[in-house]
Amino acid sequence: MPSKPSPLNSCRSGGCTLTGALSVTTSVVDSATIIHGPAGCAHHNFSLLHATGLDNDRITSLNLFSSGMLEPEVIFGGEDALERAIRRAVRGDYSVVYVLSACIADTIGDDVPAVCRKDWGVPVIPVPTAGFLGGSFQDGVNNALVSIAGTLTGTAERKNGICANIIGEKNLEFEVEENFNEVSRLLSLLGITINVRFIHCAGTGELASLGGATLNVLRDEGMGSLGDLLNRKYGTRAVPAFPAGLSGTLRFLQSAGEIAGTDAVESIAGETGAQASLLEDFSDIAGSSIRFDPVFPGLTDDCSVSEVIERLGLEISLEGVRVPAPLSPPVGTAGVRRLLHRWRRALHA
Amino acid sequence: MPECVNPLTPCAMTGAAAALAGFDGITVVIHGSSGCYYYPATLLHAPLLGTFIVGQDVIMGSEARLLEVVAEAAESGGLTAVVTSCVPAILGEDIRSLLSPYDVVLVESPGFAGSFATGYRNALAALAPRVDTGAAGINIDGICLLDPFSAGNIRELTRLLAIARVPVATVLCSDELSRLHACSPFTITADGDLSSGIGTNLGGTLGPDAVRETFRRIGDALEGSDPGPVFSEIDAEEERLIRACDKYLRRFDPPVTAIFSGGSYSAFAAGVLKKYLDAEIACIGTRTFEEIPRGFSSVPAPGLNDVTALIQKYAPDLVIGASFEKSVKGDAAFVGLTPPLRDRVRLVSRPVAGIAGTLSFMEEVLNACMDRMARR
Repeated sequence: MPSKPSPLNSCRSGGCTLTGALSVTTSVVDSATIIHGPAGCAHHNFSLLHATGLDNDRITSLNLFSSGMLEPEVIFGGEDALERAIRRAVRGDYSVVYVLSACIADTIGDDVPAVCRKDWGVPVIPVPTAGFLGGSFQDGVNNALVSIAGTLTGTAERKNGICANIIGEKNLEFEVEENFNEVSRLLSLLGITINVRFIHCAGTGELASLGGATLNVLRDEGMGSLGDLLNRKYGTRAVPAFPAGLSGTLRFLQSAGEIAGTDAVESIAGETGAQASLLEDFSDIAGSSIRFDPVFPGLTDDCSVSEVIERLGLEISLEGVRVPAPLSPPVGTAGVRRLLHRWRRALHA
Repeated sequence: MPECVNPLTPCAMTGAAAALAGFDGITVVIHGSSGCYYYPATLLHAPLLGTFIVGQDVIMGSEARLLEVVAEAAESGGLTAVVTSCVPAILGEDIRSLLSPYDVVLVESPGFAGSFATGYRNALAALAPRVDTGAAGINIDGICLLDPFSAGNIRELTRLLAIARVPVATVLCSDELSRLHACSPFTITADGDLSSGIGTNLGGTLGPDAVRETFRRIGDALEGSDPGPVFSEIDAEEERLIRACDKYLRRFDPPVTAIFSGGSYSAFAAGVLKKYLDAEIACIGTRTFEEIPRGFSSVPAPGLNDVTALIQKYAPDLVIGASFEKSVKGDAAFVGLTPPLRDRVRLVSRPVAGIAGTLSFMEEVLNACMDRMARR
């Protein structure tokens, strides 16, 4: 039996827009989300989100409705089923209801936006998804964030003090809280507080103050169009990505300081010292020979990882000790420290 | 399934994949998007292939992509099973003719076709299992990759059959594919919800009473078998179980219990809790809409909101279910019986079936209830 999931083309493995969009909409705590499609689609995603919550010691209250499409709806149309699901959802005490469509609903041509436009008493917002037909997981994330940002009518008035929005966190990422904590720590070195996590466990009330921040911090560079949208809407400039690796962390401080109008020299000097101490703490593994674990492939050629290898004088070799590669660039100095702990465990095993 | 909130049951496509992937000698291809592929792949921990179709394939036709993947699957030399997901199922492509040059079984089991069990049975029917009247031993039925107790159930039932001097014939669905076409005329069942209907069913194996009755039938049906040692073991272990439960009852009241599982496992849990611990079965919420046997009443609880409402209504001391139920159990004790069980490390293959299955289940129940009392 082949062990690889699919032959050839990795561009086909981008996942489903539903999962991406759900990772955003289910993070709006006073909302409900409807998946217009078979119940199995809702279950698959509910189960994934639930498992992720358990992994992160965060049992969130998911409100995921399914229109429960079966064969008759596929043949005769599913808009009535969607209306029933919306009717049921709006009976709950939700501030907003998001509607996502599965691939089968899009294929049979159900007019989801038209159903959502009816007067339901609370906002019922369609998010462009269409299952895999709408693109990838990341497209789903971006579409949901753009849809929600587009519906916000909150003020663009700046808050007192310097504060930042965190934009587009990867809510299904295992280290999502640790990464947020590290970014918060780095921003605090510049005297910057957090305004809104857009969107991570936030209520619609909090989201309304999105325009009040001095700067936005985007999770990664793939969210540039969202950053542009928020800049146009609120005039808020953005740091393009979370800090990746050692020198990336220093550049992050520089960039955030420039946008916030804060002198970052002292913060950068302090963080540079902290990074030197960190590398000293791991001097026992300096010069070791390593190779990346082929069973769990991750990021092996990212410059943030290469820099850590170079700074510790590690050698990549086929005969080296097998160490895990990170799935995404280590966030901040703390991310590098956790990565090095994993490598040291492997080297000492 | 009508519209529901936070649904708890996988789709028919996943059910089909679970049945097929249990057989060595089959390469399973999910004909659908990567999103459809990932769920069964991560849930079943089995190697699956996927066509990973994209929008362009839907517009231009998915045949070329399917053939590309089937051709790779064919390289492994065994049978290829193609499971269609929702969109390919309605594209109107003649997949059956397309695949006719290959050794392929096509299982049309899109998500909208129904439940996990529907897909599981569709797949098994497509494989066309056959009884060989000359085959020795007994089939073990109702084994499914989705079930976290499946490996333990196989091990325990194989052990019991061995001490009764009965070889195992075919395990459905966890065996070499070739053995699916030489099943024994006799079958015993682990999870009755996934019973295949292959051979004469000599009975279930959930709970000591069922094991005793089933092995009595085995003794009658199979020449050369000797269920005596199984009966002796049941008597001895049941005595230990009764003593442990009696000791619990000297200090504590029986737990008011809410059970959430499939019909077969629910009936087992209710039966042994009532018999050995005099537990009050406050409610049984089933994943499916099927009735529970053995005189226990049940209500459908297909979504987590249904589960939450039942737990709030009955305020049980003990909740039996999956990780889903654990997250809404409040201060009740919890024992995992239903997939998925995700937030605990599970390294040992624990059974539910057989004698060890009952001991294992009741051990968890007693410890969970005592821990809860200690916390209070």
